[in-house]
Amino acid sequence: MKNVLNKIWKSYSIGVVVVVVGIVLSLLSPRFLSLDNLLNVMTNASLVAIVGLGMTLAIASGNFDLSVGAIASFAGCISFSLVPSIGVPASMVAGLVAGAVVGLTNGLIITELRVPAFIATLGMLTIVRGITLIYTDGKDLYLFGQTGYKVLSGEYLFGIPTPIWLAVGIAILLGFVVNQTRFGRHILALGSNFSAAQRSGIPTSRVLWAVFSIVGVTAALSGLILSSQVLTANGRLATGLELSAIAVVVLGGTSLSGGQATMVGTLLGALLISMVNNGLNLLNVPIFYQELTVGVLMLGALAVNVNQGFDLGSLLRRKA
Amino acid sequence: MSENDYRVLLEVEELTRRFPGVLALNQVDFDVRAGEVHALVGENGAGKSTMINILAGVLQPSGGKMLLDGTPVVFHNPADAQRAGISVIFQEFNLIPHLSVAENIFINREPTRNGMIDWTNMNKRAAEALKRLEIDIDPRVPVSSLAVAQQQLVEIARALAFDARVIVMDEPTAALSEHEVDSLLEIVRSLAKDGVGVIYVSHKLEEVFRVADRVTILRDGTHILTDITSNLNEEKVIFAMVGRALVHGKCPDRTLGQVVLTVKNLDVENSVRNVSFELRAGEVLGLAGLMGSGANEVVEALFGLRKAHADEIVLHGKALVIENPRNAIRSHLGYVPNDRKKAGLLPDLSVKQNISIGILERLRKVFWIDGNGEQASAETYRGKLNVRCSSLNQRISNLSGGNQQKVMLARALAEDCNVMLLAEPTRGVDVGAKAEIYTLIDALVDSGMAILLQSSELPEIIRLANRVVVFSSGQSRGELADADLTQESVMALATRV
Repeated sequence: MKNVLNKIWKSYSIGVVVVVVGIVLSLLSPRFLSLDNLLNVMTNASLVAIVGLGMTLAIASGNFDLSVGAIASFAGCISFSLVPSIGVPASMVAGLVAGAVVGLTNGLIITELRVPAFIATLGMLTIVRGITLIYTDGKDLYLFGQTGYKVLSGEYLFGIPTPIWLAVGIAILLGFVVNQTRFGRHILALGSNFSAAQRSGIPTSRVLWAVFSIVGVTAALSGLILSSQVLTANGRLATGLELSAIAVVVLGGTSLSGGQATMVGTLLGALLISMVNNGLNLLNVPIFYQELTVGVLMLGALAVNVNQGFDLGSLLRRKA
Repeated sequence: MSENDYRVLLEVEELTRRFPGVLALNQVDFDVRAGEVHALVGENGAGKSTMINILAGVLQPSGGKMLLDGTPVVFHNPADAQRAGISVIFQEFNLIPHLSVAENIFINREPTRNGMIDWTNMNKRAAEALKRLEIDIDPRVPVSSLAVAQQQLVEIARALAFDARVIVMDEPTAALSEHEVDSLLEIVRSLAKDGVGVIYVSHKLEEVFRVADRVTILRDGTHILTDITSNLNEEKVIFAMVGRALVHGKCPDRTLGQVVLTVKNLDVENSVRNVSFELRAGEVLGLAGLMGSGANEVVEALFGLRKAHADEIVLHGKALVIENPRNAIRSHLGYVPNDRKKAGLLPDLSVKQNISIGILERLRKVFWIDGNGEQASAETYRGKLNVRCSSLNQRISNLSGGNQQKVMLARALAEDCNVMLLAEPTRGVDVGAKAEIYTLIDALVDSGMAILLQSSELPEIIRLANRVVVFSSGQSRGELADADLTQESVMALATRV
C-alpha cells in the first residue's frame, strides 16, 4: 500500500498537490469552484504556462533563459506599433518573429561567444529592455479601436478563452517534440551530458539555436496575450516573468540539472501557482502575504526537486 | 608474518545494508589491523562501494555493528568517521581544484592565529605532511595545476594530516600510469609500516598481490573468503570473485584483410608528433603507452576531438578530413571514449535511448522517431552484446559499469561503423564483464571490423592486439608484433624517453 502511494506520489506529485489544493480551496471558499472563477484561474495560469513550456525545453537542454520577460515586452511593443500600418494578424506574426530573433541571438551568443546561458540571457534581458524603452520612448502604446487584437485574450472558443487553448496546444506540440522527435532527443542528450552528446554526433550548436528561438517565440506569445488583455504595451511589461516561468517548470518536476522534461508538469505548475494566488484573493489575504506564500511554495518545490523526488514512503515509515 | 602480531583497529560484524529491492551487504564480517594492507576485492555490485560508504559514514548500515578498538561505534555522517580516524579516499577525489594543496589538506581545520588563517604555519605543516610521503609538491600551488597522480597523493597527505588510523583507498590506481602505480604502492606499504591500517579496494589483482597482506573477497553482497595473500593466487581470487575462471594470454590468430586506415605523419596539437600507422580489416592495432604518452590523443584526434594535422589520412581508399565527431561518424568511424561517465553516458536517458542516440536520422518516420524501429534496433544490440538490464527503458545510470560499457559499444556498432576507436574499453568494469568485452572484440574483428585500441593496461593490450604501436612523450617508439609482443617489450618502449 505504502509502495503504491509512493509510486503515485513520485510520478504525479504535482498533480496530487493540485488536486489537494483544489479541494482545500473549494472547501474554504464556495466561489472557487464556480465556472467563471476556474476559467479565470486557468487563463492566468496560461500566461505563465506558455512561456514556461518554452522554458522547459531550455532547462531540459541544460540551460535557462532570463530574458523572456524582456522578450515578452519587446514583442508586445513591436507588434502594437505595427498594427496601424500592417494590420492585426501580420503584426502578431511580426511580434512572434521579433521574439524568435532575440531568442536566436541568445543561442548564438551562447554557442559562438561561449558565454554561459545565465550571463548571456541576463545581458540580453537588460539590452532588450533598453531597446524596447528606446523604441517606445518610455511611453505606453495603446490600440484604440483595434479590438481585433482581443482575439488573443478576450475571445472564447467552445466556452473556453483563447489563452487556455494556446497553452494546451503548445504543451501538446512541445510534449510531442521532446518525446517523439529527433530534435527532442537531442535536447535531452545535450542536457544530460554535453560532451557525450557532442561525441554522439549531435549538432549541439544548431540544437541550442532552435531551443532558444522557440523560447523566444513562446515568450513573445505571452507578451502579445498580456498586451492584448489591456490593449496596452510598454517597456515595463512582464517584469519578473523569467522567474515565474522558471518556477513553474521546477514546480512541475523538470529537473534544473537538465536531461528531462515534462510539459504536463509545467502546465500543472502554472495552474498551482495561479490557484494559490486566486484562492488567497478569494480569502481576502493581503497581497504581500500572497507573495510570501508563493515564495515558500517555490522553495519547497525546489527543495524536493533538488533531492531527486520526495520520498513519501520514508516519511511514512519514519512515523510508523 | 603471524596474523596475531597486529592489533585489530576496525572491525565490522554481520554488517548488512538493504536498499529497496536489493540486499547490498548481507551479514559481512571484516576487519583491518594496525600495520596491514587489507585488500577488499569483488566485482562491481559485490558490495564494496556500499561497505566503503558505510565506513566513511556516508551510508548507515541496516544491521550489524562496527567496532573501533573493540568499542562499538556509530557514524551518522562523514565527519563522525573522520573524527574516529577513518579517512576514505574515493575514486572521485574530494579536492577543491581552485584551492591550494595546503588549503585542501587542512580544509575545515585550518590553523588560525587571532581568528585568521595562519598561512605560514599551514603551508609549513602541509609541506611536512607531503615530505612524510616523500613527495615534492609545493603546498602553495592550486590543486587544479597538479596531475591526477599528484592529486591522489594530496588526498593521502590530507588523510595523514587528519591523523587517520584507517585509510580506505577506492580504486586508487584507476587513473594512474604504471610508473605512478609503482610509487603509489610503495607509499601504501610505508603507510602500513607506520602502523596505519589500509583498506585497499581494487579490481586490479596484480596490484592486490603486490601490496596486500590479506585479501577479502565479496560477491553479491556476501563475504566469500578472507585469507593471507600468500595463501592465494590470481586464479583462486578470480574464481572466488566470479565463480569461474578467466582466459589470459595473447590474442587468438587473426585473419587480416586489406588496409582500411592509413595515417601518415600525424601531429596532434600540444601532444603528439609525427605518428604513422596502418590498420587492416580484421585487426586490432594496439596503441600502448603510459598516461600522457599521446596514445589517447591520437584516438581523439582521429575522431575530430582535437586539433591535428596529418600528411595523409586515408580511410577505405578515400582521403579523410575529420573536423568534428559528426563527420567521423558519417565516415563510419565508431568511438568509445576512455571516460564513460564524462564523455559517453547520457545518464538521464534510458538504455534504449543511449544506444540509438547516433542513429536517430535513420530511425526517422515522417518527422518523428520510429518507436518500433528504435525498440527493435536496441533489442538487437542488447542481445548481441548481452547487456543485462531489467528493461530497455531502464535509466542507464542504474546499470553496472560493465553493462554501461556494453551500451557504449552498442552505440558505436549501431552507428554502423567499420573502423572502431576504442579507448580504455574496460575501465571501471568488473572481471566478468571484462571477459565478455574481450570475447566480443574477438568476434567483431572476426567479422571484419578493424579496431584501434588504446589501453594503458598492458595485459589487456597483449590479450587483444595482434600488433602494438608504443607511445611515450608524444612519439611513436616502435611497433611490436608476434613473438616480440610481450608485456616486458611494450613496457621497455613505453618507458623510453
